Amino acid sequence: MTTVPHARTGGPVPRPAPPPVRRPRRFPAEGALVVVFGGAAAVLALWWRHTPSVVGLDGWLTGAGRITGLLAGYACAVLLALMARVPVLDRVVGTDRLARWHATGGRYTVFLALAHTALIIWGSSVSSRTNVIDQTATMVFEYEDLLQGTIGLLLLLGVGAVSARAARRRMSYETWHHLHFCTYLAVFLAFFHQLSNGADFVADRPARIAWYTLYLGVAALLLWNRFLTPVRRALRHRLRVAEVHPEAPGVVSVYVTGRRLAELGAQPGQFFRWRFLAPGHWWAANPFSLSAPADPRHLRITVKEAGGHSRAVARLRPGTRVWAEGPYGAFTAARRSSAKVLLLGGGVGITPLRPLFETLPGEVTLVYFARRAEDLALRGELDEIAAARGARVHYAVGEGAGTSLPLTADALGAVIPDLAAHDVYVCGPPGMTEAARRALRDAGVPRRRIHHESFAF
Amino acid sequence: MLRAVAATTATVAGLFLLLALKPHQSPTAAAAPPVEPTPGGSPSAVPSAPERDGTSGTFTGDTIDTARGPVQVRVTLAKGRLTAIAVLKGEHREGPSADALARLTKRALAAQNAKIDAVSGATFTSEGYRSSLQSALDRADG
Amino acid sequence: MAEPRTVRHAEHVMGTVFSFDLRGAPTPAVTAALADAVAWLHRVDEVFSTYRPGSQISRLDRGELTERQCDPEVAEVLELCRSTARAADGWFSATAGGRLDPSAVVKGWAVERASQLLYDVGARHHSVSGGGDLQTRGEAAPGTPWRIGVAHPLCPGDLITVVTGRDLAVATSGTAERGPHILDPHTGRPATALASVTLVGRHLTEVDALATAAFAMGDAARGWLRARDGIEAFAVTADARTWWTPGFAAYGEVPVPA
Repeated sequence: MTTVPHARTGGPVPRPAPPPVRRPRRFPAEGALVVVFGGAAAVLALWWRHTPSVVGLDGWLTGAGRITGLLAGYACAVLLALMARVPVLDRVVGTDRLARWHATGGRYTVFLALAHTALIIWGSSVSSRTNVIDQTATMVFEYEDLLQGTIGLLLLLGVGAVSARAARRRMSYETWHHLHFCTYLAVFLAFFHQLSNGADFVADRPARIAWYTLYLGVAALLLWNRFLTPVRRALRHRLRVAEVHPEAPGVVSVYVTGRRLAELGAQPGQFFRWRFLAPGHWWAANPFSLSAPADPRHLRITVKEAGGHSRAVARLRPGTRVWAEGPYGAFTAARRSSAKVLLLGGGVGITPLRPLFETLPGEVTLVYFARRAEDLALRGELDEIAAARGARVHYAVGEGAGTSLPLTADALGAVIPDLAAHDVYVCGPPGMTEAARRALRDAGVPRRRIHHESFAF
Repeated sequence: MLRAVAATTATVAGLFLLLALKPHQSPTAAAAPPVEPTPGGSPSAVPSAPERDGTSGTFTGDTIDTARGPVQVRVTLAKGRLTAIAVLKGEHREGPSADALARLTKRALAAQNAKIDAVSGATFTSEGYRSSLQSALDRADG
Repeated sequence: MAEPRTVRHAEHVMGTVFSFDLRGAPTPAVTAALADAVAWLHRVDEVFSTYRPGSQISRLDRGELTERQCDPEVAEVLELCRSTARAADGWFSATAGGRLDPSAVVKGWAVERASQLLYDVGARHHSVSGGGDLQTRGEAAPGTPWRIGVAHPLCPGDLITVVTGRDLAVATSGTAERGPHILDPHTGRPATALASVTLVGRHLTEVDALATAAFAMGDAARGWLRARDGIEAFAVTADARTWWTPGFAAYGEVPVPA
């Protein structure tokens, strides 16, 4: 077993020269949205091309049904692509923003799928002069691939219901996550009826080919990035737990060693999805940020015991094999644009900020919010870094009215002169980040200089 | 909640707009789609008895676009009278596409290969008999 | 070994063609019976044809005759119509068009009678068909059952399935000759739900009558036929789907699910 020099002793490792300051890359994230909406426009154009006229109530209903159906089918492919962990998307848009787009888009897609089903059933009942119940039964049981399509729809609705906030609160993340995988099955089942019944595909071979290409392309992305790449990585790097080190009550650091760690290319501020191959840990792949700059000898994460799973991390034994997927996250030095940086961390949000604090060039200030003094994990390291590089660190302890540093523009401005000229990186629980955001905007920090990573996915 | 309402409203409005931009009369093809007899003839409408006499056979029409998508029909004429129309491509009641008919046709057995002794089908007239499978069997040697 | 001889005969009567197919070397008795059967078919035409104003059926319809004054066959056929109407819950009627017209039943009944005539004189292996409905007896050849193709309702010249068996009666009801089957693309409504329905049983009289009723019933025929003993059915719907009763697979080839 390699002995790992603790980051606390021996001081920070000398860093290479700071990278030149660059403009933040805003455009590409919106560019991804432009591509998505462009695709949607192409799908609508397909409907337009195949519809010479819209006649009668049933024509309107089935027309609307076809449009919503086409959009829903397209949206499913896009939603899967967003979560395929495509590195370029992750870098450009950011993992948390991709997850938000996926969640919002997912709700809208369920709405589209329901609208499509209702409109088609109603429209075709009108044109065949049957009642809605009979028409539904006929379509579900006798039309090509519609039985699978119906099951797919029901699965999609089920997953949607389970993802509602009210339901998610009652179950563990892992349970929800695994249930959510049923969407793969739902999309697969629903795919075939689109081609065998879709009026826009019947006589249009190029359209059918394009649809297959879309879905097969997304499937390839998923297969490569979510399944094959992690396996490849695992075999190449052979990560293992080297040591589990308590930092503070309820907080531990886990040191992970392996081969060719430098090839992982992890930047300060990024995170991995960690899967520890120990009994009880196999099924979960939890996102933890690196809490120290990536070292060729080890990677470090710092975990606070917040639930059954993170408590179990403290009990990991050295030698346990680890699969790490990543690095992910756009919460990096590449986002800054000014010479002064303010890091605002709350609770466990300090973890990605700690390596940024050590490596970000220029004038850096760190403010660390915690409920009690003993919750300030990694405090010793932070003080050492501040001393070594001449940066400032403030600890704000307390909650609500009793806090030593309230999150308001005035209080922050008093502690940090020239606040509006800073780039600000914020990471912490949702309440804290919301308050921080408002305070920063009040203090005049422009939106493009507030960088935020949420852990809420 | 507000965003959900806005998104729903925007979607409904968008759908309405798209549908409203399309023409609302059916194409002038009227009741039965026009058919071009494929055996080298000039384009003409479906022949009716007084105008033509003696045309018999099966003709397949061009595929045309209708409100319900592409439609193609095949007609059978006996002495200028329409005796049967088969829809080769097109939707019946917003339902199964050309796929279903194509599949059914694929499963059709070749009479010669099936080595049958007789044929059961809808009643044919004496004229219809002449071109039926049954007559072919009756003429064959035992 | 020489091919077994067959005797075939086609007769134009009742507006259609009746085909006879007798297997095995014919005896003089069989040859005579065939001639009798043919003559009898013409007699049936005279009595039952609704196209002849002087036929007994036409005169019965106009009230010039009572049922008892007609040939006993007329009463037999009319009783057949009544029992079929009962069995078909009203989906069959001899007076459907406003006039008395038992034609739907007469053909099958006539074929079965003709077949019985031949069977009684020793033609144990034969097939008699009248305009698309058949009664078979025995086998096509020693050890080989009869193979009866069923016409594809939508593609003339093709078959949709083949029914195999001994002593089978097969009747198909469809729309090919009932007038143009025109689809209005704007309402999407075909003239009827089925393109054709084929029934298989033992006695053509029953099978033919029930096939007519089943065709009129459309999709509802499926459940009705399933409940009937001794009858199996195979149908092609107007939108090119097929369905069949569970026991049909014992007689005919059914499409493999795609």
